[in-house]
Amino acid sequence: MKTREKILLALIIISLALLAVILSFGALGAVPLKTIRPLGSFYLYFMANNNIVIQEIYPSITKPSDFWAASTEGITAILWDYRGLDTLFETSVFFFAIIGSVSVFRYYSVSLEEKNKKNTNNSSTNTKTSGQGLSLIVKLITRINFVVIIAVSASIAFHGQLTPGGGFQGGATLAVAPLLAIAALSRYFVEDVGLKKNTMLTIRTLGLLIIGLLALTPLIMGFAGGNPYIMENQPKSWAMFIGFPSFGLGVLLGSLAFYNMAELLAVGAGFTVVFLLLTLPEEFFKKILSREVGKQ
Amino acid sequence: MIELVKTILFFIGMGLVGLGAVFDLIGALGLLRFPNFFVRLHAATIGAIGGAVYPLIGVALMAPSLESFGQYRWYLMGGAIITALFIVLAAPTGSHALARATHRAKVVPVEPKVVDHLEEDRG
Repeated sequence: MKTREKILLALIIISLALLAVILSFGALGAVPLKTIRPLGSFYLYFMANNNIVIQEIYPSITKPSDFWAASTEGITAILWDYRGLDTLFETSVFFFAIIGSVSVFRYYSVSLEEKNKKNTNNSSTNTKTSGQGLSLIVKLITRINFVVIIAVSASIAFHGQLTPGGGFQGGATLAVAPLLAIAALSRYFVEDVGLKKNTMLTIRTLGLLIIGLLALTPLIMGFAGGNPYIMENQPKSWAMFIGFPSFGLGVLLGSLAFYNMAELLAVGAGFTVVFLLLTLPEEFFKKILSREVGKQ
Repeated sequence: MIELVKTILFFIGMGLVGLGAVFDLIGALGLLRFPNFFVRLHAATIGAIGGAVYPLIGVALMAPSLESFGQYRWYLMGGAIITALFIVLAAPTGSHALARATHRAKVVPVEPKVVDHLEEDRG
């Protein structure tokens, strides 16, 4: 055995031993803390302080429900309620980024399938046959996973106000489904399912519209009297807005759940639009763009 | 009686987690030592199925006895089973797609070769 190999072996043994020590300490320690740590209690106080347990921690505050965000998920509550305007403009930036990329491919309105129909004119080459995509095994599993991914993304988004997750994460997960289907099955499958560019753009715009309306609803109600402000979630003692529906720390919690659902639509459909545009054959859009240049 | 079942399940689960570590080690060794791409891919799949699915099922079996987690232990159990199912579906499919594409494109030589029925079928 050479010196180099000896050193390597010693390093491997040392790192394995270290890993074993670290792992055993991790497993031997107290796994979940029964008591809430100070930072956690601080956040919980502002997120979920209608909870009696949290009120016991801060008895000096007379009306804690003024800061109640109706969420057990700190990140979602901070993002959508405490710095909501920031997240609203982030969503808008994402919206304009997608609009920009769509405008680059601006003359693409027909689907690939329609284009092929026009070109082949009932000829024998049917491009939509099962010859497309990878092998049968991959296609079958991708079909199963297509549904599973959508279900997982929905669970991430619709549970986002209770557990880690949220609209953007759910939407990013949702967009994996068409991407996988494009790679393993074909673009025709995705278009067959109904995920066409213009449909996706509509869904995305719908998502952003819902977010905008949700943000403005309290403000609009302010004109009828009272003193509400933009993106208000739960009722405050100094504002007359009655607040979005929340049933304790239950299922439907304030505006955060609605924001997450709308964000799921906006982000998922937005990414799908980009994937659909990127998988467009180059000769197709180049031809259209050159035709446009030729006209001038 | 239920406590006994829980204890037995806990130890079976611990065994599966340990077995997963062994499979991971075997997979890693195979990945280093096997002669060509296709058998190395087989070793990688051992790491995915034996090294991830078995421990996840083990965690699912251990979950009912983790009293300190409260009701969340059932979430843990469900999540572990779903993840295991997902890996069972996805990991072999991935290796299948890799192996098939590699064989069709003839990018790696099958060397040393004992038998290659796929090549014989294609002619």
